[in-house]
Amino acid sequence: MSAIAFEKVVRVIIGSITFIIIGLLVAIFSIMFLKGFPAFHGDFLFAESKDFGRAGGVFYQLVGTLILMTTAVLLSLPVALGSVLFQTEYMAPGKFKTLLAQLTYVLNATPTILFGLVGYLLFGVYLDTGVSWVTGSMILAVMILPTLQVSLREAVEALPQKYREAGMALGLTRSSQIRRVILPQCFYGVVTGVLLGLARAAGETAAIMFTATTFSGIQFPQSFSDPVPTLQTHILILAQEAAHPESIAQAWGSGLVLLGLVFILTLMAWVFRTRVVMESDL
Amino acid sequence: MNFSFGNYLSSDCSAVRNWEPLGWVFAGMNFIFLTCTMGLATFLLVESIPVWRSEGLAFWLGENWWVGETFGALPMICGSFIVTGLAVLLVLPVALSGALFTSEYLTPPLRRRMKGIMEMLAGIPGIIYGLLGVSFLTAGVKDVFNLLDGNTLFTAGCLLAIMILPTVLTLSEDALRSVSSEFREAAEGLGLTKLQTAWRVVLPQSLPGIVGAVLLGIGRAMGETIAVMLVIGSLDRVPGFNIFVSGQTIPSKLGREAAEALGSAEHWSALMGLGFTLFLMVAFITICGNYFKYWSGR
Repeated sequence: MSAIAFEKVVRVIIGSITFIIIGLLVAIFSIMFLKGFPAFHGDFLFAESKDFGRAGGVFYQLVGTLILMTTAVLLSLPVALGSVLFQTEYMAPGKFKTLLAQLTYVLNATPTILFGLVGYLLFGVYLDTGVSWVTGSMILAVMILPTLQVSLREAVEALPQKYREAGMALGLTRSSQIRRVILPQCFYGVVTGVLLGLARAAGETAAIMFTATTFSGIQFPQSFSDPVPTLQTHILILAQEAAHPESIAQAWGSGLVLLGLVFILTLMAWVFRTRVVMESDL
Repeated sequence: MNFSFGNYLSSDCSAVRNWEPLGWVFAGMNFIFLTCTMGLATFLLVESIPVWRSEGLAFWLGENWWVGETFGALPMICGSFIVTGLAVLLVLPVALSGALFTSEYLTPPLRRRMKGIMEMLAGIPGIIYGLLGVSFLTAGVKDVFNLLDGNTLFTAGCLLAIMILPTVLTLSEDALRSVSSEFREAAEGLGLTKLQTAWRVVLPQSLPGIVGAVLLGIGRAMGETIAVMLVIGSLDRVPGFNIFVSGQTIPSKLGREAAEALGSAEHWSALMGLGFTLFLMVAFITICGNYFKYWSGR
């Protein structure tokens, strides 16, 4: 075989592998849609689940997921913003700064189940919040901290040096520089980080399954020490009841809702990020 | 409250003096972040002290996990390594082909779109992969290999391969892209074809970055809980060389038993020991991966 023919063959092979990979995403989404759509009767999103999840809707599960992810981001954002700005604006380059950046990566790679174990012990037992949505939110907040930090850091570091110099030349103090120049310019970065953090918190199961959730019987949490039902754990439990076809059908329905939620958040983050890229090209 | 890292602060003197309340708030936030990270590792170690006391290093070598009698983590450790190794073997050819095609043959707009698709894939929650695995993959493996039970180490490996594909692909692609275009131009100027350039010039140059990408993928695979837990069969035994049997990984064991161990101190401490082992493995692999990535970026 001549070199040129060989080249063509290889290109076709790796090209088709790439298309298969893209096909994987399409396949996952279409399977979820085909399997999950039949569960969407009239008010699937707005009805209570009945009969141990075999009938009814997923309203309180959806609410539970939304509560957990929103609280987690609200708790995590100030810490992420503060620590990133401290590291980029106040610290001089050095070993300690590199160490902090490394720690972000280690925290990001830490298996999520470990957040569940340690978080339950720390918040649930020592701070006595028990199995509750507060425990879950705090665990998720620590878990998404690196996600937020990475996005924020990217945004802050992408800021052209001349903006900072212009601020300094105008005699801005460091804190007004942050408030007037850096934060407004990094707004889209913050939004991207928040959206990605929400998506990551919404998709997480292992960290909350024995620390924050309950399967059924709970609606809105009445106090700080109540657990909530969530979509993730709802799917987890239904998926293991292979004997009941209705359970599996409901699991697909809940899966489609969860996937839709995560998909929308990721897509929005993507749109905002492209915006950042376009602006930094100017 | 006077931190002694004066040397590490920005050399801009006026700014240091004008630290203002906001600076202290940020320092506090940074401190919280530091506490969270260090606290995690410390907590895992401190809480697992009872099991290290009673089992010693035999904890890692023991084959039996009998609650109330003895705790041995070997089946879980072996299971984790087998499943992760399998996932890497399966994902490597696919991810590298994809990365090579994306970085060398696609135009920049298409490349960005490909990256977006990978990000979407990486964002799909583990529980969705678990649901798909339970419904299709276990049945598929059972039929194809004529097994009695589709919940095997092999099934978990396949599922993990799909889950880490976007991570490995996108990071390898970054590594390939980071090779300066001068090398490509020089190689093409010498009359090498595109494929020869990619194979003989770009790939060797970006090898550390690719190794880093694979290591970061391994880190993700080792820690995945939910999807693995649903398809692995959860059976504690040292699997030997047969990958078509049910097994257990460290995270799946933790996921299965954490809820029932909540009351019992001894059992909980054993799980914490398992968690600490997992943390050490993942942290080591991630730090190595980042080191390789950084090395290739220079």
